[in-house]
Amino acid sequence: MIRFSGRARSALIIGLQGIRSRKTRTLLSMVSLFLGVLAVVVVQAGASIAERALLADMELFEGLDGTVVMDVGGTSPQLGQVVTATVAGRPDAVAMTGMQAVIGEPGVRPVNEGGVPLDGSWGDPGPPMTCDETGCRELPAAEIAPKGQAIEVRLTALSGDVRRYRPYRPQSGDWLDFATMPSLSPSLVLNKAAAYGFEKYRVPAEMRVPGASANMTPHFVGVVDDGDQQPRAYVRLDELSHWVPAAKLIDPNSSEVRVLMTAGTPVEQVLSAKLRAIGVEPIVRTVNSRADQEKELALMRLVFLAMAGLVLLIGVAGILNVGLATVGERVEEFALRRAVGTPRTLLAGIVLAETLITGLLTAALAIGVSVLGMKALVTFAGSSQPFLQGMQFPWDAGVAGVIAGLVAGVLGGFVPAVRAAGIPIATVMRA
Amino acid sequence: MTALIQLTGITKVLKGQEQPRTILDGVSLDVHAGESLAIVGRSGSGKSTLLSVLGLFDRPDQGTYLLSGDDISRLPERRAAKLRSSHFGFVFQRFFLLKHLTAAQNVAMALVNGQGWLPRRQRKARVMQALEQVGIAHLAKNRPARMSGGEQQRVAIARALVREPRILLADEPTGALDTETGALVIDALQSVTSRGCALILVTHDRDHAARMGRILHLDAGVLTEQRVPA
Repeated sequence: MIRFSGRARSALIIGLQGIRSRKTRTLLSMVSLFLGVLAVVVVQAGASIAERALLADMELFEGLDGTVVMDVGGTSPQLGQVVTATVAGRPDAVAMTGMQAVIGEPGVRPVNEGGVPLDGSWGDPGPPMTCDETGCRELPAAEIAPKGQAIEVRLTALSGDVRRYRPYRPQSGDWLDFATMPSLSPSLVLNKAAAYGFEKYRVPAEMRVPGASANMTPHFVGVVDDGDQQPRAYVRLDELSHWVPAAKLIDPNSSEVRVLMTAGTPVEQVLSAKLRAIGVEPIVRTVNSRADQEKELALMRLVFLAMAGLVLLIGVAGILNVGLATVGERVEEFALRRAVGTPRTLLAGIVLAETLITGLLTAALAIGVSVLGMKALVTFAGSSQPFLQGMQFPWDAGVAGVIAGLVAGVLGGFVPAVRAAGIPIATVMRA
Repeated sequence: MTALIQLTGITKVLKGQEQPRTILDGVSLDVHAGESLAIVGRSGSGKSTLLSVLGLFDRPDQGTYLLSGDDISRLPERRAAKLRSSHFGFVFQRFFLLKHLTAAQNVAMALVNGQGWLPRRQRKARVMQALEQVGIAHLAKNRPARMSGGEQQRVAIARALVREPRILLADEPTGALDTETGALVIDALQSVTSRGCALILVTHDRDHAARMGRILHLDAGVLTEQRVPA
């Protein structure tokens, strides 16, 4: 248990007596300070929530800070062979390539042509288009296949476990098992958007991939949250390679090719050298998104906190005003206290104790209102704003509120405290 | 026997005016434990200033102030506050009771002053003892607004006595009271001398002064003895 010194206890007892005897003034001080402390709490809470939401999804897209990313372009037919042979079996590098895939009834148009989200959040994708060297145009009606029970997804083939670079959040089932023999029936892990589609539409388990020798029969093993709104499926590169030739599997003309690596791995140098040898110039960068984003968010938070600080200052001025008026009214009391042996420091302590208690009470009120406000927001807006679901009040916002209350108490009480300590005892003699 | 208080050549000059004014002019005074003395004089003669110097509210410009043989003429404020708490009790013309506190809380104010800490139970016992001493223990829970002037002044005396001071300084304590109530207050004040506490009373009332062991007259800052105890 914290044991206060006699002087601190005296300051607290007398301060509380002062607050009890001047309830209206205390309430007025609290009212003037409330908005300032609330502003600090809301800004801090908002910044923490925004940071959490933004950074969490950013790591899913961009990868963890420190990950070395190599983007590969070019048209060399040896590209696929070079990439897969270099990263095969490496624990410090993963190659990933993306392509379109349609799962479901053969010979029909997918319900979400172009791989658009199945919840309709991207609106109407428009008429089917075809593009060639002369440009893009609508497909003639005769060439448009009828819409059927099929879903289009972005298929990402992986040479290894990518989650050490992109921390996808498991939702259900399992992740791809890279330790087993590659199966002829590729295992797929869906993202949430794809899982939503397959739950909504019952489609046959037949997968078509451009360039594949035949349609495949995949099986779903799990669902992850990868932060992507587009339906996406993840598959082992070696399982897909049973059906798609290496030249088509990693084809920069029709797919995106990327290698994620641990910093300092020799794969970077070896693969770069091999790619240059076949006339491909890789683009290499190191992920630093979180640090960059944090820097930007910190700046924004600082700007908003500065504005909240200004509102807080108005509250401080209110406490200061009430404090000075109160000390003016209590001149005789303070002079008398000095006469009975109360040291000047304790007199200052009494005034500071009163303003600090007022500041803390206001902080408690502002934090309480913020917690309730957040609960109400999650209850009423949580269904339309998924990032709000399960959101908890950030503790650092509570700490910021308490600090704001204490700072306001000290700033607002300092001048009245100094004035109280300077009241001459002779006041009681000449009264 | 060493005097409890020994003032020698105390001078206090009021500065900050065109002509500095001498308020106390070489005042010398010995006060012994258990004695009572009255200081009388016209308004502006320096009585309250003398009491301020005696009570360590103010410092003399010249002269020596010995308390139990220790020189306290130039005491820093922190030590002066400690001495005020441990050695002195004060009673003023106006009672200076805090209206939001009960009689007991007003008395306890002298105990909750940052000079040592008494547990709540001991504090309460000391407060009740002081209130009993002045005969108003039954009013402990009353607020000042519900008490008469005499009762309020007795609460103020209890507040002065609760730390068991060695010197009680009273500045016109009956000034706001009728004759009968004033006499009761003087009785309460005088009773403290029986346990060795010195009483210094500043008053305009000749009858009250006559009840003290010694009467000192202050005129234009000069202190003279009018009556020496038998």
